[in-house]
Amino acid sequence: MSSVPARVLNELFTQKLGTAEGKEKMAEYGGSYVRDRLREVSYTRKILPPEQVTRADCQRSVNHDTLVKIVDIEPQSRAMAITFRGQPTARFIRGSRAEVAFFTISSEMFQKPEQELLAYEMPITKIIEENSVKDMQEIEDREFTIHIEAAVQALQVEANGGTATALNATTLAGGGVVEFSIRKGELARASLTNDATPRALQRPDLVNLFKLLDGNRLKSERLLMTESDWDDVLQWTVEDFGDRLQSETAVDGYKYNTLLGRAYIRTIKTDILRTGNIYVFTKPEFFGKFYVLNNTKFYIDKIANMITFQAWEDIAMSVINIASVRKLELYSGDANPTTNADGLLANFIPKSEDALGAINNRVDAGLKFPQVSQY
Amino acid sequence: MSTIQKVNLEPVSDVLPITRRDFPLADPTLSDPLNAVALVDGEWMTLDANYKLIRAAAIGTPGARATLRSFPLFAERGRYDVRAQADKKMPILFLGSYEFDTRVFDSSVALGSGAAITAVLQPLKVATITVVSAGRNFVGLVGHGGSADTDPIVGYVTRLPSANGGKLRFMSGWRS
Repeated sequence: MSSVPARVLNELFTQKLGTAEGKEKMAEYGGSYVRDRLREVSYTRKILPPEQVTRADCQRSVNHDTLVKIVDIEPQSRAMAITFRGQPTARFIRGSRAEVAFFTISSEMFQKPEQELLAYEMPITKIIEENSVKDMQEIEDREFTIHIEAAVQALQVEANGGTATALNATTLAGGGVVEFSIRKGELARASLTNDATPRALQRPDLVNLFKLLDGNRLKSERLLMTESDWDDVLQWTVEDFGDRLQSETAVDGYKYNTLLGRAYIRTIKTDILRTGNIYVFTKPEFFGKFYVLNNTKFYIDKIANMITFQAWEDIAMSVINIASVRKLELYSGDANPTTNADGLLANFIPKSEDALGAINNRVDAGLKFPQVSQY
Repeated sequence: MSTIQKVNLEPVSDVLPITRRDFPLADPTLSDPLNAVALVDGEWMTLDANYKLIRAAAIGTPGARATLRSFPLFAERGRYDVRAQADKKMPILFLGSYEFDTRVFDSSVALGSGAAITAVLQPLKVATITVVSAGRNFVGLVGHGGSADTDPIVGYVTRLPSANGGKLRFMSGWRS
């Protein structure tokens, strides 16, 4: 961390913007300020690693000026036992294809008169620039989460005879719903009420989740859960962990890269992946695609004294094989967006884009302690 | 009578000064190009209480007039960048002044106290129209009747379709 004051950095920003060396120099500096919240890199990129593509990899439309990349799906084939005189059945070869469409994720367009920048002692422009990348990755995660939820719900509808069927403690007790791609946790299914309270994650919950996927000639590889659901793992008993691991966990927490043989990804973004929702995925090659057409671009301009800057990226992501994701729900209420039987859906799905990252601090409301006022 | 094509709304003035804002569709299925009433560029939209886009007039009721401030949709039917998003956002011309050519209009009808589109600088309003050649309804521009007409004005004719290759050229301008 440099000792260069942030005020100087803000001045540098106004002087050097538009020059590559100026931007590089600013990247060396940091500042001292109080953070409002943790910002986390994309969990989507850990589950579905992005692939860089170029315009040449994409297809156009004859109807409008947007792009897709067409992805081939593995063709079907099988073998059979036959007699010496018999012959195998024929298969006319056909491979399915799927389109993965591109769109843009952008930061806000930030604007500030250069004189007002001088009022900041923190490198506000640099902070915003760095945070913008993570803000955009938050939107990647939100898009991804909505897509995987749509995938598990679509399979669930199919398994229930093509009818959207509520999945809550009541319908489970009545035997009125099939848990094909979504399963309730053991404590949730034993609940007497349908509510939005996430129950503690137990070891059998995860094993049963794996079985949803492993029973379909696919293999569960990666778990996605919130930090708060992960904390329940730390409560597992000696019967779950065994003597040695229990001792280790009590001191250092759980420090292995796999849990029950599966890699896991934890996130603090509980306004996107809501607590109580745990997903399991296959390896990416069985699952979907995430393409980056244009990596993050940063635009900055100054007209008279008004500085404007914005960042964006052009990406495409798609859950192509919807059977490659399964979900565990640790709450007893219904999270089916069609039925929404308990009226609790808003607790289970990602918040809207403009509601993400609600402010933690209350400084603008005058709440900090001790309270001191300048005169 | 207009003819709906692949591109139905084209700028004549600079688009940079216009605030082109994306809003999620209240009914995301309208972004599906195979929907019988899929949205096309040049249709007129407004905002609902959830800050989402809805058509400015009832699509199933030809002749229904818009009563709220409405904005032209600036995205062609079935665009991939709309379909790719979870929220199915579509851009409208939200703030600023502009001049555009549109194919989504009916110059012959007189709705309410409105009038057929016959003159340059005649005010325009928004209503559900039927385009026979497309076999369906759209929410587009129709002629405003002037002082006797209490419907909101959304723009003014700058070039009549007869002198503009069948497209209606209009400039923005709001009056409730």
